[in-house]
Amino acid sequence: MSRIFVTGIGIISPLGDTLSLNHTALKQGVCGISTLQLIHSNFAGKLPVGEIKTETNTLKEKLKVKETGYTRNSLLALHAFMDAINDSKLSNEEITSHNTALIGANSVGGMCLTDELYKDANSKSQGSEYLSSYDGGSVTLAIQQRYSMRGIINTINTACSSSANSIMYGARLIQNGLATRAIVGGSDSLAKYTINGFNSLYILSDEICRPFDSERKGLNLAEGAAFLVLESEETIGNKKAYAELTGYCNANDAFHPSSISENADGPFLAMQGALQKANLQPNQIDFINTHGTATENNDEAESKAMLRLFEKVPAFASTKSNIGHTLGAAGAIEAVYSILNLTEQEVYQSLNYKNPIQTIGLVPVTAYTKLPINHVLSNSFGFGGNCSSLIFSKA
Amino acid sequence: MSMFYIHQTVCVSAQKTNGVINLDDIQPINDNKLQAIEPNYDDIPPAMYRRMGRAVRLASGAALPLLNTLTFNGIVIGTANGGLEDCIKFLNQIVDYSEGKLTPTNFVQSTTNAIASQLAFFSANKGYNNTHVHRGLAFENAALDVAMMLNEFPDNSYLLGGVDEISAYQYNIESLAGSYKKESIASADLYTSKTTGSIPGDGCTMFAVSKQKVGAAAKLKAIGTIHTNKVEEVTQYMNHFVTKNLGSDTINLFLSGENGDNRHLPYYTACKNIVPNVAVERFKHLCGEYATASSFALWLACYKIKTSNLKNVLIYNNFRGEQHSFMLVENA
Repeated sequence: MSRIFVTGIGIISPLGDTLSLNHTALKQGVCGISTLQLIHSNFAGKLPVGEIKTETNTLKEKLKVKETGYTRNSLLALHAFMDAINDSKLSNEEITSHNTALIGANSVGGMCLTDELYKDANSKSQGSEYLSSYDGGSVTLAIQQRYSMRGIINTINTACSSSANSIMYGARLIQNGLATRAIVGGSDSLAKYTINGFNSLYILSDEICRPFDSERKGLNLAEGAAFLVLESEETIGNKKAYAELTGYCNANDAFHPSSISENADGPFLAMQGALQKANLQPNQIDFINTHGTATENNDEAESKAMLRLFEKVPAFASTKSNIGHTLGAAGAIEAVYSILNLTEQEVYQSLNYKNPIQTIGLVPVTAYTKLPINHVLSNSFGFGGNCSSLIFSKA
Repeated sequence: MSMFYIHQTVCVSAQKTNGVINLDDIQPINDNKLQAIEPNYDDIPPAMYRRMGRAVRLASGAALPLLNTLTFNGIVIGTANGGLEDCIKFLNQIVDYSEGKLTPTNFVQSTTNAIASQLAFFSANKGYNNTHVHRGLAFENAALDVAMMLNEFPDNSYLLGGVDEISAYQYNIESLAGSYKKESIASADLYTSKTTGSIPGDGCTMFAVSKQKVGAAAKLKAIGTIHTNKVEEVTQYMNHFVTKNLGSDTINLFLSGENGDNRHLPYYTACKNIVPNVAVERFKHLCGEYATASSFALWLACYKIKTSNLKNVLIYNNFRGEQHSFMLVENA
């Protein structure tokens, strides 16, 4: 099977709209979580979120989008996609080739447009410009149409692990000879829908989140997008590769719609499967980018899974403390952060951590540290027990 | 890439496709919709059943007979919208109660992956679990996903499904978008209507698939997809697909996704003309138009292969004239 390399990266997050801005902010331990401003909601001015403080119309102008029906989610995705293809220096011919796949992922689609959707779905309007923009597929289709892409196009939604699965799917298309190149990633924008949804489950923190801390109070929702250009060993030529995708696995916890089981079977099986795929022993993992949402349930369960799999748990941290939880985009954004761990040979501190979870005792990385890193494991776990893990290795 | 063998199927549709199959007794279009006949839900605990939205319910009813008798290494579902009804119910709560204290049931049920995960819970299946939502090609991507899993793990077997629901909300949105016929229409007149729009349908089809030939009902030999609105690109793609996958063999039946929408007819006519001497059958008068209707077509191909002893069936379907798919199904 062909080896898979990352040759292009595009990212937009609460830490900035370029790879370099994200890198600097991570290095300096900047927290991108702040009070909700841009959404008209009862939670505005109160709830801490990882919000990109750029108005939707400004994003539209910046990206020169003239088409109708573009949602904030599509704009974030397009922003990251454009940076990724530019970074990988893909020609128009390469982008439109039958051998170039595009695999997107998101969990809210166009439901960020709460009021428009409310009116359209309840027949209280003559039809907004967004009638074909509510489903998850619309985000990927907006990019496909803009670039007239002809290869395999897909959109995945496994909630919070969506874009880890889009990365896997793209890699497998290459390994099965169905594409030579796959542009993979995900996006999600903040939405009244998800804010109220997570709030109804009592898992939103009213303070800035504290992953793996004994006093953690829940997660902060966030928005962003990231796309990676994956290319096969045979296609990459003389291009610079950021990293190699060596392992991946998807498993289901088969326990509960919105929480992880006591033994954390799903997370355990996903991590174990990714190691097997990469043909690595647990002690060869140098760093774990955890899912680490800072909910009561996730951090304890994920810790248990790490303790089950690793004799000595490697250095780990959660970038949810830097940007919050970007849901369907999290897998791809954190894949980018994991790649930075490899290319820069450094790890970034988990913010707001004070004391270990008593029953667990694990301590995340709490200071920026230079570290020799060959393999990074990145976790993404979602509602519905959908757990996925990726392993990136030094190219 | 080699695909897989289909061993068992369950099809929940507007027709008599579940249990005693009778496609001659055509169930008519009702209220300009073709809603699936709900399956037997005896195996679902009542408390759980009450929480389920239509899509999760249809999928559970279709999958449980297979989950109860077979073991799978994973579950892969294609659904464009999942539980959209629950989604709008929750959205309505947000607006109607001004973001007050809301009940999470609709929110949890509304995530599109709630279907595949519900099936995993039923069967304590901790294996591969994925949900493809790429609108008109959600099912095709789910099928490709399974094929790739089987290439990597040839001894495995998977539950593959396609499901979408038609709810009042979905109907409202799509009606505003002009997807459905404004005039009322009978099944027999769908293909001669010469107007825009189709008839909405819903349903769920489940397939037990593996690499094992022995005992198989049919083989999905190849699958191909393309995004374009140009007829000539579609025909070019079809020519390439047929040449590559059929060789010198002949097609016995062309299953056309024609849906009565005159905007989409040119694609179907052009593709039919590529295989001029082949028998043509249409299926949207049976299942209606929905994003994963191609999963119904795959079921129908398997059924026709068995009952009419056909060798090769070619399915062509498109969604909104933008997402096109070809599936070549072969007698196992």
